[in-house]
Amino acid sequence: MRLGMVIDLTRCIGCRSCMVACKAHNSQPPGTWWNRVFTPGASFHQSAVGKDGEFQMNFLPVSCQMCDNPPCQKVCPVGATYTDERGVVLVDYERCIGCRYCLAACPYGVRQFNWEDPRKAKEQAGYMKGYDYGYPEDYRDQGRLVYTPDRPRGVAEKCTFCVQYTKNGESPACVRACPSKARIFGDLDDPKSEVSRLIRERQTFRLKEELGTEPKVFYLAPAKPVR
Amino acid sequence: MKKSSFVLGLGLALMLTGLVTWGYQIARGLIVTNMRNPFSWGLYISTFAFFVGIAAGGLIVSSSVYLFNLERLKPFTRIASLSAFASTLGATAMILPDMGRVDRIFNLVLHPNFRSPLVWDVIVITCYMLLTFLSVYFQLLPDWKRDGRGFFRGWTNNLSLAQVQAISGRWSKRVSIVGLPFAILIHTVTALIFATQASRGWWNTAILPPDFIAMAVASGTALVLLISVLAVGKERFAEYQGAFKGMARIVAGALVVHFFLVAVDLLIHWWWGKPEGLNILSLVFGRYGLVYAVELVLPAFTMLCFFSQKGSSSFKSLILGSSLLFIGVFAHRMMLMFPSFNEFPLSIALPGLGIENWPYPIATGELKEGMPVFVSSWAYTPTLVEYAIALLPFGLVLTVVSLALRLYNFLPHKGNNSLRGKSGISYSNDTASV
Repeated sequence: MRLGMVIDLTRCIGCRSCMVACKAHNSQPPGTWWNRVFTPGASFHQSAVGKDGEFQMNFLPVSCQMCDNPPCQKVCPVGATYTDERGVVLVDYERCIGCRYCLAACPYGVRQFNWEDPRKAKEQAGYMKGYDYGYPEDYRDQGRLVYTPDRPRGVAEKCTFCVQYTKNGESPACVRACPSKARIFGDLDDPKSEVSRLIRERQTFRLKEELGTEPKVFYLAPAKPVR
Repeated sequence: MKKSSFVLGLGLALMLTGLVTWGYQIARGLIVTNMRNPFSWGLYISTFAFFVGIAAGGLIVSSSVYLFNLERLKPFTRIASLSAFASTLGATAMILPDMGRVDRIFNLVLHPNFRSPLVWDVIVITCYMLLTFLSVYFQLLPDWKRDGRGFFRGWTNNLSLAQVQAISGRWSKRVSIVGLPFAILIHTVTALIFATQASRGWWNTAILPPDFIAMAVASGTALVLLISVLAVGKERFAEYQGAFKGMARIVAGALVVHFFLVAVDLLIHWWWGKPEGLNILSLVFGRYGLVYAVELVLPAFTMLCFFSQKGSSSFKSLILGSSLLFIGVFAHRMMLMFPSFNEFPLSIALPGLGIENWPYPIATGELKEGMPVFVSSWAYTPTLVEYAIALLPFGLVLTVVSLALRLYNFLPHKGNNSLRGKSGISYSNDTASV
């Protein structure tokens, strides 16, 4: 099994629901975002790009690309970053030594570091007293702590394809929360899966393909009319 | 004696400042630095690379004595080994505060990932530290035997002084010959930490390892030169002028190689005209032009000075040239970070719109009033906390060197022309010269 994702940029409306769902389900502290949606070329999200009265507006969601040839895993001196049996790149929060080599190595800027204590950062943010968010229980993959609502300070983290859900056969939060069904999730090894079919039948691209990182996140190019 | 007490005191004070501030950083987290997700390595890694660079001198100087028969450098092999050992300690001390979880450092031993250049660096630097220590140890052994002091010398009790001297000579030579490849390796591997990363255009060049070696030969030799000149003092300067000149020429020659490699590297970044490459150059010469000017101009001055007859033979110009070179090398280490982290690897091209290099924003990892969470560049400047912690390795090196100079004899003896020495034993046990 090789889990992967197809993101249909024609369908993406740039609403950032997936960012919020991801953040909430995965208990990301203030200032930390595993998943981002931006309008390429624009200084502000949701603003049109163009000149001479010709404008366009496309959106590009970027989270961990789940590389088959992951630089973050190769540079990790202690093997805290590893690929599980389903091809998902995970971080062991109990092994990471916080050297941040993976942040320098990742070409996609998806890796996030716990510069401060995430619990304290949440308390200092403007949330109403008593409000909390995030899947509440730890999740261990063969004994390795790959999800915990409050990450230890001084470790790196990133998208896990919602390991706490997908290990049970559910879809990641961003896929379920997308109002326009722009995200399709499934097994790239299964030729009958929807992701495999889309990659086979449609023209897809991957980010920074020239670096040879072999991402398992594929994009369907946007085909919106120029307005 | 007064001067060495001052240096020792200064070293201890710097070390204490670094340690106390590190304690504060441990309590608060790396948030007290100005590093953030888009700019994740800063002053600490630059300072680490700086100390790795100056650690080369020791074994390069002592190995050249044996390999290339540069006999006139011989009086300075002890001090060279000491400076190398101290700098390696400094580099190691600097890397610890950079770690988010220094308490888990044992994972490097328990779960090493041999694909990671960081693990290669841990291995070669540990070996180098051991070798430089042995180099110092074997060279001091005859003194210790004679004076009945020092450490790890129980096994010499049943040997005669002559036997110990023979062992010292033989093993000093062996250590420095084994050490030379390691001296080369620590720079190669430290450079490979950066050069292997295809995501960072500024680092991803095969020129980086040879350039690190060139810089290391220059700055490492300059460190030995500086310590030797200062230790010998003005009065006895003339006696060792030949050795000093030799070292100055090694520095200048290595800098020629460095500038050649820099020129080729810049040309290749520019020639193809790739938007990312041109953006890096605009960062190098524009936004960080001042730091880059320091990196280029000061070592260039040192190079010319050390090639000139006058510059390589005067007490003052040798000190000035070496000091300026260190500032230039430090700027070089900082310039590893500035352009590299401000050219985001994930840049988007929108051909129909004339946009070729749009940096996809990165979350900083901190929510702070009035500050954006997502940024397209990060104007990193170290915080006071970072500067204070970066004093730790400087303090450690000053302390170790001044303590060693005070306790044992690392200097050529007054009036003793050590050119005649054959096995590194032409030193007196007179420590008063410090």
